[in-house]
Amino acid sequence: MRDEPYRWIEAIQDRRDYIEDQLRVGSPVVGLTYNEGMVLLTIGRGQRKIFEVHDRIALSAIGHPADIERLRMLVTDTASVQGFQNATEDVNLHRLTNFVLAHTFKQAFESIVGEAYIIKMLLAELGRTSEHNRFTGINYDGNVRTDAEFSVIGGTESIETGMQNYLAAAPVDADRDLTDAIRLGLEAWAIGRELSSREPEDTESEDVQIDTEQMHEIIAAAREDGEIEAGVLETTQHGTSKFRLLNVKEIETALP
Amino acid sequence: MSIKNVINHKGDFLSLLQHANYPLQIDLPSGTPDHGDVEIAHSTTVVVVRYRDGVMIAGDRRATAGTSVIYDRAEKVLQIDKHSVLAISGSPAIAYEIARILEHSFQYFRRSQLQELSLEGKLRMLSRLIRDNLAMALQGIGGVIPIFALYDRDTPEEENGGKIYFYDALGAHFENVNFATTGSGSIWIRGVLRYLSRFGDTPLEAMDERQATITILRLLDTASEYDAATSGYNARAQIFPTIKTITRSGVETLSDEDLTDCYAAAQPESEAV
Repeated sequence: MRDEPYRWIEAIQDRRDYIEDQLRVGSPVVGLTYNEGMVLLTIGRGQRKIFEVHDRIALSAIGHPADIERLRMLVTDTASVQGFQNATEDVNLHRLTNFVLAHTFKQAFESIVGEAYIIKMLLAELGRTSEHNRFTGINYDGNVRTDAEFSVIGGTESIETGMQNYLAAAPVDADRDLTDAIRLGLEAWAIGRELSSREPEDTESEDVQIDTEQMHEIIAAAREDGEIEAGVLETTQHGTSKFRLLNVKEIETALP
Repeated sequence: MSIKNVINHKGDFLSLLQHANYPLQIDLPSGTPDHGDVEIAHSTTVVVVRYRDGVMIAGDRRATAGTSVIYDRAEKVLQIDKHSVLAISGSPAIAYEIARILEHSFQYFRRSQLQELSLEGKLRMLSRLIRDNLAMALQGIGGVIPIFALYDRDTPEEENGGKIYFYDALGAHFENVNFATTGSGSIWIRGVLRYLSRFGDTPLEAMDERQATITILRLLDTASEYDAATSGYNARAQIFPTIKTITRSGVETLSDEDLTDCYAAAQPESEAV
């Protein structure tokens, strides 16, 4: 198959379709900065999806739980060893994503006889100052995208675009607190959920056309058989580890 | 590290380091003579007491090699995580490495296993590190005898969750109920601690933070009087002993202002400053 370029491209395309089909129903994840750090949030059904990787790095992913776990361990191990052998300040997200993860994702995706990872990852790195906060998304094919203010991962590109458009249209507010960030994040999540519930051909349109009330209904419905999960990297945390999962009470104060 | 050699995960940081070819032990060539005239940095008096709100850990700041004072700002009381502290005596090079491995191990366990390492798990991890260092201890150049103090948050609110563990060179750990002390100056104050704990006007465990601080400053002063490897308070350079507390809310380091104040109160009335 390798010496027939057309069939190779076709096989890659089949792979892409297969993976996207599996990812499409995944619960999206939203990442936002706020006045005291960065938050990652989603609504999940039991499986934990937001994790601490290192002192200033957090991870979330959608996809197959086995793949998420394996790749989460890869990045956690690499960061832990690097942080110990040098100093924890020497661990940085750019190296972890571009050198360790992107390469692993790409290799698995393109070796068409082997297994591919069904995964999309979103990582957050709390900078020394807020201008250095970074979100990095990695696609199952190894493509990397970096954002500063907010970032999302969803089942398909059009779901992500729909969510991003909503976040980009929200008023820019450097003093946005955690409560407001969670609220905005949940609204973007609701848009992602709405788009992923539509038939594939309808999601091509990124025009969502739902109002705030409908968003709140979607969030309320999702909470009936799931839970909001949110993790923060906060500058106010004592000590070197900045990650913490929010408790139910903190999340509930932000609910509409 | 690549995806192919992701190790089997029990949250064990030591296997991860071995896997990454990090040398955990220093292998001396066979026939290496005892350290003889090699002067290795040594130290110390560290003392830990259980007081009303938890545990207080203190250490002097002097590091010596042979009869020379090589450093007078050494830190011998090291925070490991939010609720634990390691107080070290012996060879600082190995002790710092042990403290660092311990800190990273606890974090790695939490990050990989998605829960905190249990109290028993933490004690065993330290045991293992001390036992692995036995060869160095027997050579006479790298012995480390630490005290590990922590606050057990599973203790009921109304009780004191402060715990003190003492280790021997083979890594066995013993829980000390009210106090522990180690280092070259410790022999001079162990009896005093016993006396205070049993016959003192205020038992150690009933003391508030200020009373405990004053008591500890007096103990270190006593140790420094008889042990050349222990420093007292250096007024000219304003170097105080390190004192940390661990309570239910976590580890705190006493500020120089607090210590200046307590130091004045710790002096006998005839020498009041």
